[in-house]
Amino acid sequence: MRMLLGLARPTAGRAEVLGTDVLSARRRIGYLAGDFELYDQLTGADVLQYFARLRGDVGQDRIAALAERLEADLRRPVRELSTGNRQKLGLIQAFMGEPELLILDEPIAGLDPLVQHRFHDLLDEVRAAGRTVLLSSHTLSEVDRVADRVAVLRAGRLAVVDTLEHLREIAVRRWEIEFDGDSPDPERFRRLPGVIEVDRNGAHLTVAFEGEADPVVKAAAEYPVRELRVRDDDLEQVFLRLYADGDG
Amino acid sequence: MTRAALGLELRLRARSVALAGIGLMTVAAITGALFPAFGESLGKVELPEGVGELLGGGDFATIAGWLDTEIASVYGPLVVAGSAIAAAAATLAGEEERRILALVLAHPVSRTRLLLAKAAGIALEVAALGIACWLGLLLSVALAGGGIGPGRLAALAVHLAFLALAFGALALALGGVTGRRAVAAGGAAAVAVAMYLVNGLAPVTADWLQYLSLFHYYAGHEPLRNGVDPGHLAVLGAVTAVLLGVAAAGFRGRDLRG
Repeated sequence: MRMLLGLARPTAGRAEVLGTDVLSARRRIGYLAGDFELYDQLTGADVLQYFARLRGDVGQDRIAALAERLEADLRRPVRELSTGNRQKLGLIQAFMGEPELLILDEPIAGLDPLVQHRFHDLLDEVRAAGRTVLLSSHTLSEVDRVADRVAVLRAGRLAVVDTLEHLREIAVRRWEIEFDGDSPDPERFRRLPGVIEVDRNGAHLTVAFEGEADPVVKAAAEYPVRELRVRDDDLEQVFLRLYADGDG
Repeated sequence: MTRAALGLELRLRARSVALAGIGLMTVAAITGALFPAFGESLGKVELPEGVGELLGGGDFATIAGWLDTEIASVYGPLVVAGSAIAAAAATLAGEEERRILALVLAHPVSRTRLLLAKAAGIALEVAALGIACWLGLLLSVALAGGGIGPGRLAALAVHLAFLALAFGALALALGGVTGRRAVAAGGAAAVAVAMYLVNGLAPVTADWLQYLSLFHYYAGHEPLRNGVDPGHLAVLGAVTAVLLGVAAAGFRGRDLRG
């Protein structure tokens, strides 16, 4: 992220943002650093005023509107603000220029749930306006909530770039099938394409598989099925698996 | 956009500059007021060679000697150059270490222009302190009963301001290259002390050594007696320019810390 803003230089290769070099792209980017400080002795309003002047094209009304939505107090000096209230100033300065691209590093850190909700509304508006948000987070529920496409970084390398929808599709599915009477021979299911694991427990058979569900459905249909419960992996397990795969 | 950075710089530093300026004027005025009582009774103090040089001559019999010893040799540089070093270290490496610059530089402003805006801010602060010093000296001489014209007093203030600019630029260069506030402030202060000693002790060690010290170009010409020395000011100005170039090159070419 720092490289995309020209704060760090690539040791090899080059970075482009919005089809241009990183330094000229900055005018079109709003950035929230993951870990930042502001001028302690200035008020929130003064800090935002300074950033607005550096950017050159931000109206006061825009700042005021964002401050109201995020419930930011702009009159107090920064040194008196809590982490969450400083974070609000960081968010306002990132959003206020209505940039084509928002780069947000851990944006909800320190925000209370209500403000998080307002922040997500803001994100939705930005997305609806056709603008792009590049958001970094360690909180998977946050990723699950806001992301369309995800990139997973593992030890500084891109492990995967994919849509969240597709990642959910490739998640291992786990079906618990309850049969009327004793469950059938697990071997019958183990031989099916895509099946990873089969556990038998009395009338219950748990089948874990990837990809097409059809073979499992057809095989189960040969026996009297009483109930079928679907236990898909959640996103966290998908990611854990992605990380584990990289270790091999 | 860099005017915004300059404006902020002045605003953040206004309070400390005002306090330093008031302090400078007050001390200069008190020093002048004390001259009739002390100076004439002390006369010329015979100090061992070297010690006298370090303290600014040890000549208390004339108002010029008195002010050289009491203001020009230690107190003035300590306040004005010290302020410049502190401001330079805080505004560049200090803001970088506090991770303020990461947000600032994500805006459409180039590192070089930001650095120059900050340098301009420091220059204006130094100029304000130079003027405060001059006003203080005017008051001082008036209280002492006269003896030095306003032009000579201004010459000292100008030399002092140029010295402070050079040390401020040194702190910017150290901060620009390393991104560490402690290195910028501590390094520049250490070089200043070393140069002060080299200049003072050169007469008893090797005369040529004094040319290595910026203090020679500040006081060697004795501005209170002889006025401005354009050549010496040019040396201080050139050193400042080179150090600013080093600061810009160092700051531009590396990853931001933090």
